[in-house]
Amino acid sequence: MKEEYICRCEEITREEIERAIAEGATTISGIKKRTRAGMGLCQGRTCRRLITQMLSKVKDPAEITPPTSRPPVRAIKIGEIVEGEED
Amino acid sequence: MKKTAEIVVIGGGVIGTSIAYFLSKKGKKVVLVEKDDLASGSSGACDIDIILQSKNPGIHLKLAMESAEIYKNLTEELDFDIEYENTGGMILIEDEDQLQVMREFVKKQKAIGLQVDLLDFKEASKLQKGLAPHLVGATYSPQDAHVNPMSVCMGFAMAAAKLGAEICLDTAVVDIKTSKGAVKSVVTNRGEIETATVINAAGVYAPEICAMVGMSVPIKPRRGQIIVTEPVPKLIMGDVLCAKYIVAKYNPGIVECSDDPETRLGVGLSLSQTRNGNILIGGCREFVGYNRSTTHEALTTILKHATRLVPALKEIHAIRSFAGLRPYTPDGLPLLGPVNGIEGFIMAAGHEGDGIALSPITGRIISDLITDGKTFADISSLSPKRFDAWGENRFAS
Repeated sequence: MKEEYICRCEEITREEIERAIAEGATTISGIKKRTRAGMGLCQGRTCRRLITQMLSKVKDPAEITPPTSRPPVRAIKIGEIVEGEED
Repeated sequence: MKKTAEIVVIGGGVIGTSIAYFLSKKGKKVVLVEKDDLASGSSGACDIDIILQSKNPGIHLKLAMESAEIYKNLTEELDFDIEYENTGGMILIEDEDQLQVMREFVKKQKAIGLQVDLLDFKEASKLQKGLAPHLVGATYSPQDAHVNPMSVCMGFAMAAAKLGAEICLDTAVVDIKTSKGAVKSVVTNRGEIETATVINAAGVYAPEICAMVGMSVPIKPRRGQIIVTEPVPKLIMGDVLCAKYIVAKYNPGIVECSDDPETRLGVGLSLSQTRNGNILIGGCREFVGYNRSTTHEALTTILKHATRLVPALKEIHAIRSFAGLRPYTPDGLPLLGPVNGIEGFIMAAGHEGDGIALSPITGRIISDLITDGKTFADISSLSPKRFDAWGENRFAS
């Protein structure tokens, strides 16, 4: 069977995420720390929904906390952040 | 249902999992309890450095050097990829005043046996590209290294489990019962565990655990913020710090009352690049209680400082930021070992920003103390008993 990528940025497969859940991960953040899913350029915009779905098989969906949102909202050049401050 | 355990370890970070592993290796029956997940606290919100050069010359540096030795073969020992790499590291020096401080620091570190040298700007530029031309030089040590701290927690926990340890996640300690001055059991939200020995490896939450046995310790959360970049080809040679980092680390008094935001926030450069190519840009040191948010002021101040020293970073995109709480102690040293008055209660917390570097050696020391009653080095200066007067005076006034 062809591999199914859940996190495209970091190329993490369904199988790897299932393994992380089997190892005890019960949160999106726990899966991220075990597999890197959600650590890429898009910061989990696509995969977090798919991962939530996968987690809901082992955990009450109401108890699945969303991952922490952190700045920046999207990738930004460090030069622009620094120079924006100097204006 | 009541469980029993020879030893209960509280905390699933780099310290608790290491202790669980080293105790299991010695044949002890360990139960590790973690209120959230492995690496869910400071061990999952830090940089990746096993840096020896930033350690105070003395017991601190000696233990870090012993720890670095254990790290060298840890991937094989745990049969788990912890992304260890012996990269070397540098501390960048901006002016003559810093050069004086670092010259003394290096001399003392060399006396303890660390391989470390002072480089001029030209030599430093050969090791690290893209440095700002105003730098006067850097220190360099080939002994500094990298690791993935989250993988260290997973690796230790899985290896401990293979040796028979039980790892209980989502399990919060709510009380510790004692009788006649000795530990009897640990009460969690999932039941009670009878045990005569408890190890408090709860990091910044260690004071909460101590309070359960009527003890107070001067461990305080100190927040560090870090920016993550997109993955790029190898740019950062290893662990790259600046001399200000050393000043901020060991002089909290100077840091807090300054008008300059860079100094007040305790900003000091800490640059490293993960195996995937993401650059981590830190950091700062702030006392803001248990607040784990990132702030615009700190992130921009960190980036301004970093790009002043390494302008090449300006061309790279930031994709994320995070904050972690480091378990600060007044003398910069962890609390390791038994405490006065409660038999079977052992501390292993307060490593501030050195938890990653000191993780393996802490596991070894605590397992030595429990099985043999002694360890390879004189660690009396790390005994929690040094703060007994602090605990009593706290309520006196």
